[in-house]
Amino acid sequence: MDSNVMKEKIIRKGAEANLYYGHWFEKLVIFKHRIPKKYRIEELDKTIRNVRTLNEARALIRVKNYGLNVPQVYEIDTKNSIIVMKYIEGEKLKDALESLDNSRKEEIFKKIGRYIANLHMNGHIHGDITTSNIILTKNQKIFFIDFGLHEYSDSIEDKSVDLHLLKRILISTHGKDFNMCFKAFLIGYQEEYCKEAREECRQIIKNINVIETRGRYVKKEERL
Amino acid sequence: MESNKKICLGIESTAHTFGVGVLDFEGNVYSLVNDIFTPKEGGLHPVLVKEHHLNNFMITIKNALSKANCSIKDIGLIAFSDSPGLGQVLKIGALIARMLSQILKIPIIGVNHCIAHIEIGRLMCNIEDPLTLYVSGGNTIVSAFESARYQIFGETLDLSIGNMLDSFARDAGLAHPGGPKIEKLAQESNKYLELPYVVKGMDLSFSGLYTAAKRLIESEQYGKNYNLSDVAYSVQETCFAMLTEVTERALAHTEKKEMLLTGGVAANKRLQKMIEYICKEHNARFEVVPFKYAGDNGVMIGWTGILRYKTEGGQNVSETFIKPKERMDQITVPWRD
Repeated sequence: MDSNVMKEKIIRKGAEANLYYGHWFEKLVIFKHRIPKKYRIEELDKTIRNVRTLNEARALIRVKNYGLNVPQVYEIDTKNSIIVMKYIEGEKLKDALESLDNSRKEEIFKKIGRYIANLHMNGHIHGDITTSNIILTKNQKIFFIDFGLHEYSDSIEDKSVDLHLLKRILISTHGKDFNMCFKAFLIGYQEEYCKEAREECRQIIKNINVIETRGRYVKKEERL
Repeated sequence: MESNKKICLGIESTAHTFGVGVLDFEGNVYSLVNDIFTPKEGGLHPVLVKEHHLNNFMITIKNALSKANCSIKDIGLIAFSDSPGLGQVLKIGALIARMLSQILKIPIIGVNHCIAHIEIGRLMCNIEDPLTLYVSGGNTIVSAFESARYQIFGETLDLSIGNMLDSFARDAGLAHPGGPKIEKLAQESNKYLELPYVVKGMDLSFSGLYTAAKRLIESEQYGKNYNLSDVAYSVQETCFAMLTEVTERALAHTEKKEMLLTGGVAANKRLQKMIEYICKEHNARFEVVPFKYAGDNGVMIGWTGILRYKTEGGQNVSETFIKPKERMDQITVPWRD
């Protein structure tokens, strides 16, 4: 990286990577640096960081085709596990959600549902749909970030797991709004998915319950 | 021992440990006595565990009382583990608790075992609002307090970590409990063999890792290109890295400033080191529950019973069901509000 590229200040220490704000050829950018994690041994660390950086960068480029708002990728540095991408100004959905009124919440989750359905229909699994990984911009656009656990899959199981994770996050982090938000999400998801494959969509949603019952300590009568 | 109605007897009986704890309502512990069932071979067979507990409960309770230097008449509250665990074993604890409650005419209260692990950690480590990684033979849970409950942020989707380590150890010919033996073996190696690393969001899966490790020791290469220490080292490094990763995710997501490590597997030094590392990164205070209280014990049941008793009062004997499959996030914790 040369002098036109400047890492300026750290804005977030995530679990996996540090995010730095900076400039890249006069563009405002985010440097997503997957720093070495010294808690794990080097062999494992290198593989994980490398695989996820490449995976994320590829995913960010490909999912654009399906109408998703994701940050533009400018540069990929696989050696140091850095992705340089466009800076998206906005607020994490996790922080923004509280202050929104109910109809707005529903509207947003319906939209998220449609976006995720689009991803799934085209064989993409986000892998980590949480409210921390969705950004609301000032002009009310919904951006998806963090595709580090992205996978390609057409299986019902993988798609259901993706939805199951969102459900879990909503319960644990936004307990009060869970019912409304997840319902709205499923409505959006179904609307979009059923355009192409009604039966498959039905199975994916049904399978969420199956996954839940596989969890630990589920009552016998709730088991399938 | 003065002020008679302020002493609680806690009975832990969810799995292989029959534990009795005597403590007062301020959290002062007078005694902790465990009687742990160790199988001669294989794993824990519920029927054998049940028989062991039935044969030994009397002597264990007597021991605990005499160590605490008090008589059974000093006890003012009975707490027992009502969930989750092996049904047959839970029944024994409930049976003894109901009996004592009726004979002594004192209140009884059922306690969730997982919540008890967190509560005793909060008491012993003097910690207020931690993110907890609870790793044992029965559970692998990342949990924190949120909207009136101990919410589960991440958990295993199949085997628990301790179960996986023990099962692998058993396949490798090591006697129960296998965890400590694997830890020791792992220290002798630094040769990493690739194993499946499965993290789904904040959830984990260990069954693939277990099968892969088992195949390694059944392979023809075993003993030639690598030995048991190498496999133990690789298993430990992989599964603990997975645990640490999801814990770090949860720490970043919940933004808690305290971290508690508890459960039987918490005794593993390598795991402690890894979790400590991420706590430093996120400026969180890190505490490991003292070994005595990290494993299953009666004191934690007693303490959680006291907390619930103080806010909600006791239960009727007719209400004391055992709930072998109850999840900790199904229960409200009124004393935390």
